[in-house]
Parts: sequence; structure tokens; C-alpha cells
Amino acid sequence: MKTLIELFNLTAIATIVALPFLKVKGKGIVTLIAICLQVALVSIISIKVFSGTPIDYSYLGSYITGAIPVRVDYLSSWFILTISFTFLTGAVYGLHYMKRYIDQSANISLHASAYILTFTSLINLCIVQNGLVFLVIWEIMALSSFIIIIFEHYKKETLKAGINFLIQSHVSILFLTLAFMWVKIKTGTFDFSGITTYTSTEPALIGVGLFILFFLGFAIKAGFVPFHTWLPLAHPAAPAHISGVMSGVIIKIGIFGILRVLLLLKTNFVPIGYFILILSVITGVYGVMLAIIQHNLKKLLAYHSIENIGIIGIGIGLGCLGLGYNNQLLIVLGFSGALLHTLNHSLFKSLLFYSSGNVYQLTHTLDIESLGGLIKKMPKTAIFFLIGSLAICGLPPFNGFISEFLIYLGLFKSLSSVDFSLTVLMMFAILGLVLIGGLALICFTKAFSIVFLGESRHISMDKVENEKPASTLSFYAIVMLIMAIGVVPMLFLKVLALPVGQFAANISIDTAFEYSEIASTASMVGIYSAVFILLVVFVFLIRKMVTKNRPVSIANTWGCGYNGSSKKMQYTASSFIRTYRKLASSFLDIDKHKKEAKGIFPKVVHQETHPYDKIERWLIDKPIYNLRQLLSRFTFLQNGNVQSYILYGFIFIALVILVPEIIEKIKFLINFLNQL
Amino acid sequence: MVSLVLILVASLFFTGIVIRTKSLASGRKGSGIFQPMKDIFKQFRKGSVYSSTTSFIFQIAPSFYFASVLMAILAIPLGKYPGLISFQGDFVLFAYLLAFGKFFMIISALDTGSSFEGMGASRESLFSMLVEPAFFIVMGSFALLTGETSFHEIFSTLHYGSNISYLLGGLATFVFIMIAMIENSRMPIDDPKTHLELTMVHEAMILDNSGFDLGLILHTTNMKFAMYGAIISNFFIGDLASMYTIPIFFAVQIGFAITVGLIESFMACFRMGHNPQFIFILTSVSLLIFFGVLLLLERFV
Amino acid sequence: MTDILLIMFAMTLLYMSIANRLLTYIRILVFQGFLLFGVTFLELSHINVTNLVLILLETVVFKALAVPLFLNRVIKHNGITRVAEPFLPNFVSLIIITLIIVITIVLSNSIKDINLDKTFFVVALSTLFTGLYIISTRRKIITHVMGYLVIENGVFILSLAVGNEMPMLVNLGIMLDIFASVLILGVFFNKIGDVLNDPDVNQLRNLKD
Repeated sequence: MKTLIELFNLTAIATIVALPFLKVKGKGIVTLIAICLQVALVSIISIKVFSGTPIDYSYLGSYITGAIPVRVDYLSSWFILTISFTFLTGAVYGLHYMKRYIDQSANISLHASAYILTFTSLINLCIVQNGLVFLVIWEIMALSSFIIIIFEHYKKETLKAGINFLIQSHVSILFLTLAFMWVKIKTGTFDFSGITTYTSTEPALIGVGLFILFFLGFAIKAGFVPFHTWLPLAHPAAPAHISGVMSGVIIKIGIFGILRVLLLLKTNFVPIGYFILILSVITGVYGVMLAIIQHNLKKLLAYHSIENIGIIGIGIGLGCLGLGYNNQLLIVLGFSGALLHTLNHSLFKSLLFYSSGNVYQLTHTLDIESLGGLIKKMPKTAIFFLIGSLAICGLPPFNGFISEFLIYLGLFKSLSSVDFSLTVLMMFAILGLVLIGGLALICFTKAFSIVFLGESRHISMDKVENEKPASTLSFYAIVMLIMAIGVVPMLFLKVLALPVGQFAANISIDTAFEYSEIASTASMVGIYSAVFILLVVFVFLIRKMVTKNRPVSIANTWGCGYNGSSKKMQYTASSFIRTYRKLASSFLDIDKHKKEAKGIFPKVVHQETHPYDKIERWLIDKPIYNLRQLLSRFTFLQNGNVQSYILYGFIFIALVILVPEIIEKIKFLINFLNQL
Repeated sequence: MVSLVLILVASLFFTGIVIRTKSLASGRKGSGIFQPMKDIFKQFRKGSVYSSTTSFIFQIAPSFYFASVLMAILAIPLGKYPGLISFQGDFVLFAYLLAFGKFFMIISALDTGSSFEGMGASRESLFSMLVEPAFFIVMGSFALLTGETSFHEIFSTLHYGSNISYLLGGLATFVFIMIAMIENSRMPIDDPKTHLELTMVHEAMILDNSGFDLGLILHTTNMKFAMYGAIISNFFIGDLASMYTIPIFFAVQIGFAITVGLIESFMACFRMGHNPQFIFILTSVSLLIFFGVLLLLERFV
Repeated sequence: MTDILLIMFAMTLLYMSIANRLLTYIRILVFQGFLLFGVTFLELSHINVTNLVLILLETVVFKALAVPLFLNRVIKHNGITRVAEPFLPNFVSLIIITLIIVITIVLSNSIKDINLDKTFFVVALSTLFTGLYIISTRRKIITHVMGYLVIENGVFILSLAVGNEMPMLVNLGIMLDIFASVLILGVFFNKIGDVLNDPDVNQLRNLKD
């Protein structure tokens, strides 16, 4: 096993070294082969772990780091498999997507190397158990993801978004460093097990404080509100396959970190559970509320990632409350729902991002308001986008429903607890989850219909190229997995029992009983999803049979007597959500420029709305503006004169020498005055 | 199985009773009770006209909508008899199956590229978002009250002991009647007789459907009404013996239909801008039901 | 039974948040008066008869009949437009009043006094805050008066909560309070109606020094 992991790392390094020497076409294929090889290696390890026991070994390390244990347990294996699958589909899709940029040879080799490096660092993050090495690998991951985001760095917006991402990544590293340093100072070791020993001997408040520090670091990466402001900027800036990979797995490493810390801590989990639950409900509702008003397709999907992180957080919060109250059922339902939703989200979000990449490639725009009627030009992409939308709204028979169902079941079952505030909190979590589902429905009916259905709003359809078959190759695998999870969730729940068992092991109660009840419920859901699919097909076939011989004619859409061009009369995205926007206007920050139509024969008038993020305005823009105002008063110090810089050095040296002397003299004087 | 058959039977005459009540209330004699079904059969025999703007989505959506409501009906129990689908948390499946149907209706409406359908679709999506929480909170309250989490178990263990539980049952019935009115786009949210901008929600979405598809959609509306009537009748049936269950079921369905007819005849439609707060008040009332349940269980003394 | 009436009282508060016409406000006040009559009758049925009759008369005659009729007359006489003009949209009002009721319930759970009947306390406090909210978010002076009456209802419920120790003096005080406020405001209003011709609250700002 050790050799497999070392081989895995070696493949990465070898490919990165070899890439600059290849021709452009070769670069893509070599990257794909390398990723396939790496995925095969880690899959073998993970499957072996799932069918057996966790794997432990350790490197000797150096004086600074101490021993470096490496542990592949069930939680790591689950995340490793999720990450590998999405990176694989990303590489296959990226191979097709990058064909447009075939002339940027150096850029592509940099991009490909960073892709492999990100994958390697992510997998390594799942398995190392040493704090310092973890931080180093985290930094490598942050830097390499920065490089893959700014592929189109000649565009100013992309570069700004990438730098925003880099700065926020480093804030998160700061929090993580503080937390690991705290543990090192108190226990003297960087090993993860030090966290366990430290928190089991200290009062619960220390454990909660340590957890908050870790949580802040990982929450910035995952995209919880209010630390999410980098997400909606970075996703549209990156190329489509990177957006899919980033939204699918890179933000999930934050979730992995939170879960890993939860496994290691031994403290009072009830306040932690409350905190995570409330924050996640706010994240979910805020994310989807802002997603509805976006006009850029990728930005809309990015805000949806924030919402789904919220749903995963609700599951984690529920599990933590179970840990705190020693409730077996809550632990199982909460953590299974969260872990399953991690996998589900990576699947359907990557599918949606790849489809939007296809849209961008053929129409060269991501503005929803100019698109329309694309289903006639790209029917396959449209079907995949539809399946992704249905899955992300959590509708049966797809996989999103299963994970949301588990979380709902957990929330409903915990309603009948004895604690009053817990019951009220559960009811509000249910309210939040329902609102999230309803708002997601509005958002995705809008996204799918305005982009693919109706007629094209601004772009002439002749300018849109035809769909290429290679662009949808990797989608079939994703859809097969989506359908599999939706129809036979029992298989996945059986695999999930192992990581969830790690959490329940903290309480040492037998998990078998509760799990079988949930497994049977989930299998019924799976059976009914399959029955539903059959029923739908059956009704459709009956309809087809009955209407086979009826006359069918094609005509224009009924226009109430006005049969002119319906292109401009269609509902736009802004009009679809207008009532919603007016209702939620206190939460949203929208710049609206409107010119009224005046007179009897008015000229052309425009109306523009630019959605902006209120939290970004208050948390990022205003403080930066104030900071700049403050610091601009000191710009006189930077006057460009070499003479004044030498003067500054001279003053510094003089102060360093003279100040202690002067202090001595003052002390002497005070002593003298005291003696008088 | 029993509930499925009974709901399908009730759906045959439900709309007929509504229309008859409205006619009698306005002083006319009105059409027969089975006239709407005869209209639907007429639609089934017709051919279709499709718009050139639409795609295959427009042709598959009505079947998907019909199938989703049919599947959702399988989850509804009738007193002692569980529905064909009965497991813990099945009301979540119920609500999301209905949402699946709504999704397809909304995208098929936007497929036509007409502003009427777009208007209807936008309002339908907003109103269904606002009304979902009410359903979940009421079911959550009753799950809390009875300690069970599936339709059948909640309704069969629901006992009306004290006065407050009667009030809660009454309030829950009121909330469900309003949910049914909103989901089927009747008064006072939407006027099904007019196709004016002021009142278009559901009727506007199906302006371009014709033939067999239109028949499917009309019958789905009937089935949805009967479905909500079945849920409401469950509040009254509880645990009685089967020889009382079926008459009470039909009595509640007919009573519900007459109530719908009377509300439609005597109430004016709300201004469209006032609809969101009216729909959201159902959520507030269901929160009150929740706290009433807490009061009943003496969690909150 | 009193709990049922109090829950219905809370529902009227919710309805008040989305009401548009002034007539609806008056009808809600009448309904609240009748609900309070029911609650009083059930709660205080064993204090001595004269007190009981006085309290019942006060609730029915004043809260349910006299004051609403008076308000109606003022509206018609001054030709006020019969729509309440809120500063905030009705949807936001509904959410805020729901939040008020929920927060009151959660807050009251941390009070551990057995002498206090929780339902009464919750409904009274939420009515109080709703009345304050109505005063601060509506533009007309007549809705100020209505908000004040809602606050009076809330205080009345609170006094019922402490049970049967309510002496006649407090009762008379409340009655006088209502009487005086409505009378003064009505007279004031008539004068303002004649002098300013504008029932807009913002105009009252001109009176500041």
C-alpha cells in the first residue's frame, strides 16, 4: 500500500517534469493518461480499505515535523473516491474544452501541471495525519488551484478574481496555522492524535474554541456565509472544466477538514452542533436567494454551490447534535446525509458546469438574457442540463432527493426531543430546508428555460455552431452514477455505513440496529423512484400510442391576435424573478438603471439591473475602502526619492542605538528624583 | 389500494360538483356533474396543434405531470388502510413528487416563448415556493404530536382529546383547504374563468396545450383536488371502522367541493400583488399550529 | 378553552399585518373585543358579580361596539382615504410580526415563574409589540389610534394573566384610559382635520420647535 501511494506521487512529479517537452496535443493526452493512472491507484487503495480495515503506516520525518503518520481510513476513502471521479471526468471534458486554446502552448502546460498537482495534493490531504505537513500540502493545493483558475490571465477580471481567491485562501491558512500551532504548543506534537489527547483532558470550552478556529479556516475554503465572497468571483473566471472540478471537489476539502476535526475532538458537541446548524441554514438560504437574481450562468451555479454547502452543513450540524445528545439515529442520519450529499453535489454540479461550458463554447457568452432556444442546436447538452437541474432541486428519482430525504428524516425524528430550544431549532431548520428547495426550483426552472427553451433573445441562431459529440462524452458516466444513486441508494448507504460508523464509534453503541431501519427506508425510496420512472415511461407510451393516428399540425404560438415576432415578447430572466426580487429586496443589493419611456412615440429605452452581493459590499469592499483611506494619509512616506529612503534607514539605526540609552538616562533621573 | 381507488373515483365528479355549486349559487341550473369528465374525453379524442417554438419538452411534460400526481396519490392513506407507499418520511416524497410535476409544467410553459405562459410560470413558481413551508410545518407539528413520521401512522394515531386538539385539527383543515386552493390556482388567488393578466397563474400556463395533453392536464387538476380532499378527510376519519370510513370520505369530498364552489362564488379574487403575503400567512398560521402542539404536549408551560 | 381564544387572538394579529383597508382594521378590533369578552367571561367567572358585569360591559360595549363605531364615524366625517398606507411592504410586515410572535414564545420559555400563565403572557407581549409596530410603520394618524387600541388590548390580556387579583380600581383605570385617549384623539383629529386637511403623520413634524 505504501508503495502504491508513493507511486501515485511519483506519477504526478514525472508528468509535471515531462509536460513542457511535449507537443500541445500530446500534453492533453499525457495529462489524461496520468490522471487515469493516478485514479486507478487510489481507487485500488480505497476499495481495499472499504472492504477491509484502515491502512496505517508512518514516515520518519525530520526534526521539525516529527513522525509523519499516514492513515487511509473510511472517511478518507470516501472523499478520495469522490475527488478521483470528478477529476477524471474533468480531465476528459477538459481535453475537449481546451481544444480551442490549442495555440497557447506554455499556458496549457502550466495549466496541466497545476491540474495534476491539485489532484495529488487533494488526495494527500485526505491521508496525512501530521499538522505541519498538512499545512504545507494545503498551501500547495491553494497555489495550484490559483494557477488553474487563472488560465485566461490576460483578462483583467479573471486575474482580479484569482487574486481575491488567493488572498482568502491565505486567510484560511492563517486560521489553520493558528489552530495547529495552539495544539503544538500545548502538546508538543504535530500529530493529529495530539488534538484528541489535548481536548479529552481539557475542559469542553477549550475544545469548542479550538473547533471554532479550525472551522473558520475550513469554512473559508468551503464557502460558508459570510466567508463565501471569493466563490462567485472565482467560478465564472475559471474555464468550465475547472469550475466543475472546483465546485465539485475543491470546496469539499473544507468539508473534509471539518469532518476530520470533528472525529478528532473530544468535547461537548451540543454548542458546536447549534453553531453549525444555524450557520448552515443561513448559508443555504442566502446562497439560493442570491443565486436567483444572477444573470451570468456560471455565477448562478456558483451561488448554488454555496447553498448546497449549506445543506451539507445542516447534515453535519444534525450529526453533531446527535453526538452531543448521544442520539444514535441523529448521528447516522445527519452524517450519512452530509456525506452522500457531498458525493451527489460533486456529480450534478460538475455536470451543470460542464454543460454551461458547452453553452459558452458554442455561443461565446454566458449572459442568460441573450440566450434562448438552444435546445434545438444542442439537444444532448440540454438533456444533461435538465437532468442536472432536476437532481440539484432534490427531485425524485434522482440522487439529490436521497440525501435531502435523509436530512429531512433526521430533522423530523429529532422534533420529538425533550429540549424546547432544540425542537424550535429543528422546526426552523425544516423551514429553511423547505425554502431552499422551493427557491432552488425557481432558480433552475429559470436557468434551464431561459437558456435552452423559447426563442433566442439576442443572438442570431445562425451564429451558433452545432454541437460536437465529443463535448458530452464524460457526461454519460456522471448521469449513470446519478441514476444509480437515485434508484439503488442501498448500495451506497452500505458503503456509507463505514465512515458514519467512525463517528458513531465515539459513543460505543452498536450501530447495527438503527442502520438497518434506515437502510430499509432508503431502499423503499429507491424502489419507488424506480417505479416512478417506469410509471412515467408507461404514461408517455400510452399517450404516444393513443395519439399516433391523430392529426398534428404546427403553428405559431398563440399570441392573442398578435402573431408578430415573439422573440422580444418572451419572458426574460429578470421578468421571471421580478416578483421575487421585489419581495426579497431588503436582502439583495441590486443596482438598477432605468430610463422611462416618455411621450407618445418614445425612443429606445434601456433598463439594466446589476446584482451585487450585500455581504461582499459590507465585509470586503467597505473595510478595504476605509483601510485605503487611512493608509493614503501616509503616502508622503513613499515619495520615490532615494535620499529620503537613506534618511529613513539612518533614522532607524539611530533610534535602535539611542533609544535604550535614553531610557537608561530617564530611569536614572527618576531614581534620583525619588531619592530626594 | 383502497385510497387509490377511492381518490380516482372522487376525481371523476369533484370538478362537476364545484361547477354545479357555482351555477346554483348564481341562480342557474348548471351542467351535469359528469360534464367535466365528458369534456376531458372529448379532448382525448382530438388531435393536437404544436407551436413551432416548442421542443420535445412541451410534448413530454403533460405526461410527466400526470404521472407525478398519480404516484403522489399512492402515498395517501385512508384511516386504517395505508397507501401503497408507506414508510417513514413518505410525506417528503409526496411533496417532492408534486414539485417534480410542477417543474415540468413550468418549463413546458416557458418553452412556448409566449409572454402569457411566462407570466403564469413565474407566478406559479413563486406561489408554490411560498406554500411549501406551510405543508411541511403542519406535517411536522403532527409528527411531533403523534411521534410518528409517516402519513399512515400520523393519521391513525391522531386522537382528539382536549379542546386545543380540536382547534388544531380545525386550523390544519383550514390550512390544507387553502393549500389546495393555491396549488390548483382557484380563488382567491387566481380566477380560473378569466385569462386576464390580472389573474393568470395556472390557466395561462396551459394556453398552448391541446388535444390529449390538455385532457391529461385537466384530469390531473381533478386528481389533485381529490387528493387534497383525501388528506383532509383523514383528519376526520382517524381510526374508525371501515364501514364508517368510506361514507365519511365521500361526505368530506363532497363538502370540500361545495366549499370550493361557495368560496369561488362569493369571494373576489385578490389583487395579484397581495397574493404573496396571503400565501405566506399560511406559513405563519402553521407556525401557530406548531406552537399549539407544543402547548398541548406541555413542552411549553 | 381560553387557550383556543388566545390562539385565535394571535391569528388576528397576523391578519392585521396584511390588512389593507381601514375597515378591515376596525373589523379586527371588533373581533378582538369579542374574543376578550369570551376570555374574561371564562377566566373571571368567580369574582363578585358587580365587578364581573362591569368588566364584561367594558369589553363588549367599549372595545367591541363603541370605539369601532366612533372610529368609523371619524373616518367618514373627515373623508380620510380608506386605505392604510404602510412604510414597509405588507410582506415584510407579515414576516416581522411572525418573528415577533416566535421570539416572544422562545423568550417566555426562559421565564420560570409558576404564577404566570404562559399563553396569556405570550399573546399579551406579542400584541403589545404588534401594536407598537403598527404605530411605527403606518402613515396615517387614524392607524396610530388603532395601534394604540391594540396595545390597550395587550395590556388587558396581561392583566387577565395575573388572575383574579385584579381590583376594581385597575379596571376603572383601563376604562378611563381608553375612553380618554379615543375621545381626545377624536376631538384632536377633528380639529386637525379642519386646520391641516391632511391626515398624514409626517405633517405632525411641522409642529416641532
